Amino acid sequence: MRAVHAANRLAVMITQGAALVVLIFVLNRVVPGDTVDVLALQGDLTPAQQAEMRRELGLDRSSAAQFIDWSARALAGDLGQSLRFGRPVADMVAQAIPTTLALAAGSFIVGLALALGLAIGAAMTGSRALAACVDAVNLWSIAIPTFCAGVVGILLFSIWLGWLPVIGSFVLPVLILGIDNAGQIVKPLHEELREASAAAHVRTARAKGLPPWRIAVFHLLPTAAPVTLALSGLVLTSLVAGTLTLEVLFGLPGLGSLTLNAVRGRDYPVLQAAAVVIALGLVLINGLADLLNRLIDPRLEQ
Amino acid sequence: MTSTPPLLRVERLSITGPSGRLVDNVSLCVGHGRTLALIGESGSGKSLTALSLMGLLPPALSVEPGARVALEAQALPITDERAMRAVRGRRIAMVFQDPMACLNPYLTIGFQIDEALMAAGERTRDRRRERRDALLGDVELSPALARRYPHELSGGQQQRVMTAIALAGEPKLLVADEPTSALDATIAAEVIGLLRRLQAERRMAMLFITHDLGVASALAHDIAVMKSGAIVEHGAAATILAHPAQPYTQRLVSARQALARGARHAGHAEGEDAPAATVSNLTVDYPGRGWFDRPVRAVDAVSLSVPAGRTLGIVGESGSGKSTLAGVVAGLRRPSSGDVQLLGTSLAATGWRFPPATRRACQIIFQNPAGALNPRLTVASLLAEPLGLAGLPRRERRERAVAAVEEVGLKPAHLDRYPHELSGGQRQRVCIARALLSQPRVLVCDEVVSALDMTVQVDVLTLLRDLQERRRFAMLFIGHDLDVVGWISDEVAVMHKGAVVEIGPAKQVLGAPTHPYTRRLLASRTHPSPSDSRADGSTA
Repeated sequence: MRAVHAANRLAVMITQGAALVVLIFVLNRVVPGDTVDVLALQGDLTPAQQAEMRRELGLDRSSAAQFIDWSARALAGDLGQSLRFGRPVADMVAQAIPTTLALAAGSFIVGLALALGLAIGAAMTGSRALAACVDAVNLWSIAIPTFCAGVVGILLFSIWLGWLPVIGSFVLPVLILGIDNAGQIVKPLHEELREASAAAHVRTARAKGLPPWRIAVFHLLPTAAPVTLALSGLVLTSLVAGTLTLEVLFGLPGLGSLTLNAVRGRDYPVLQAAAVVIALGLVLINGLADLLNRLIDPRLEQ
Repeated sequence: MTSTPPLLRVERLSITGPSGRLVDNVSLCVGHGRTLALIGESGSGKSLTALSLMGLLPPALSVEPGARVALEAQALPITDERAMRAVRGRRIAMVFQDPMACLNPYLTIGFQIDEALMAAGERTRDRRRERRDALLGDVELSPALARRYPHELSGGQQQRVMTAIALAGEPKLLVADEPTSALDATIAAEVIGLLRRLQAERRMAMLFITHDLGVASALAHDIAVMKSGAIVEHGAAATILAHPAQPYTQRLVSARQALARGARHAGHAEGEDAPAATVSNLTVDYPGRGWFDRPVRAVDAVSLSVPAGRTLGIVGESGSGKSTLAGVVAGLRRPSSGDVQLLGTSLAATGWRFPPATRRACQIIFQNPAGALNPRLTVASLLAEPLGLAGLPRRERRERAVAAVEEVGLKPAHLDRYPHELSGGQRQRVCIARALLSQPRVLVCDEVVSALDMTVQVDVLTLLRDLQERRRFAMLFIGHDLDVVGWISDEVAVMHKGAVVEIGPAKQVLGAPTHPYTRRLLASRTHPSPSDSRADGSTA
């Protein structure tokens, strides 16, 4: 059963990944004007020179031929050369990935810890103050976009208080993204835990005469795991979006900054590579979340 | 017999909720080592009474002050959460209705039993493991099951595990709240046998809650009957079953006995009608999940037919494929292969696109009437829908709807009510009325009385039989209760794992079964008869 599921899941992931790569390639071609047009504006090239350049770069061939060519090279680790910097795109992407991963993982963990702590506390104690905190964090994430919080944060902590450097610090972006994450999952998590505390198997646990801490740890917490994972999968998308924006705002050299610079400079090879890496990363993370869900909930094996 | 005080004495127990008083001034007692069956229909307050004794009432409900509960002549602090923690599991333990939901799906059953032993004060690991294996043996399970998760066990095994958990603290009193209602008949009979043995061996008292008089008579020394939150009759089981004093108890006893006794009236000449519906070689596969999973065969090469004016009963346990079969006949589901002929039309030949006339001529009624009626429509609008489809002008619809509700024993006043304002039995009557409006020639009834209380079941069954006599429709009656199916059917088919294992006249199949599975099914029946009950010599 496990092998069948893994095969199914892998097939779905490969299909998703391939579809995304094609989509990104097509979108890059749909944008009016190609690389040579951009260079022509900068370098004042004659039409003959432009045609020559297109032939050199292979841009005169059909899109399908270009795609096959690009994919074959990408699979071999060659993502082409940056038009602006002349460096291999693969190197530029590889340098940007750790920053983005650190920011995403850090804020994910902060968000999860905050949401779980608040939701469990509120559900177990039935405390109104904690329930209000759940609502507050939830409202915060709905009402305040991360870049707004980022700007205010820089103003407050870096400029007025002077506690943190303006550029290159991870502390503020991780906190801001973490709270944003927590806000998106804490409310459904709280609901789920409140319902779970009325579930039949929790009643059985009480009927055994177990102390409250045992009921919380062994009977309530696992119940929340599938919901947490499913929500986390959803939250990841907005987490990636948030990471990309905050990287730019806080001057962190990650995939977001790389993408933005590529867009500004019409550096199509870089833009395409960055988009593909982000998309495949998301597919991979969603697949992992599903796998984890299965490890936690033995019923899904059937 | 009553020289020593009883093990449990409850006096003036009342429970209130937001909507008013749910349990009203209940007093009862359970003697040492005896079983009291608390009988009543759904909503009579019997489960709440049991939960309150464990201090496990839902937060919205509360015990009114003035109640006195004593266990072994000591007052039981049922409203004190902290104090009750020491009572639960050790002095009173409880087994619940739906064992699948009551076990934690994320933990192995070994862990869950271990936890109960820990709560019962068993300190060392080795000792707990020893006792865990002994408990599993006591409930007739292999100790090897300890490493399994609840979903890997059958319903019967799950309920045995629940029983083992309850026994971990060696309680004086075991409260069992409908422990067999969610189980198939053959499994339920085994679990009842187990509880009966354990109770006798351990000299434990049992408070057994059930709506099934048959189960009660197999287990109980004493019976208490509850209705609308109050106890209406309390006494020795044999006395109550033989001579019920209260009208309500009388109805309860006679309803079950009428079903058990009466095979269907013989009013039909054999073979006078052509088949209204014929199923031939029907197979239904459910697709596996994803791309590489194998399909599941729900119905396996089933052939049967039912003539106009007659009833074919289909019995089988849950998962035997009977509801899937019903869905195909009613046109709700496409089979993988095989054919259904409705009124001479081959549905396979039409590509399972029902000609409108045939579609209307075959109607289906479901188990849960609350789910089958749109909660936002009044009964009148619910009934107007099929009439509109049949092309009846708006003015005449009301008139026809009035006739329809009167035919099923409701009043015209019910037309302006919403489904939630009706009782379960009334709702099912609305479903029947709605199905009949299309003048069906074939009526598929999928467990139509299973969700209803016993006395209501008899009323609805009688109604269906009378309607069939008047209208001469063919009926496909699916059920798991052998008495119910046997009572209403001319012929009976027994389904097991998707296939029909036995088919024939009802009397023959249920009276002299040839297939071993049918025999097992029949052996699991419990009937309320005074001779079955455990009432000891003192009442004989």
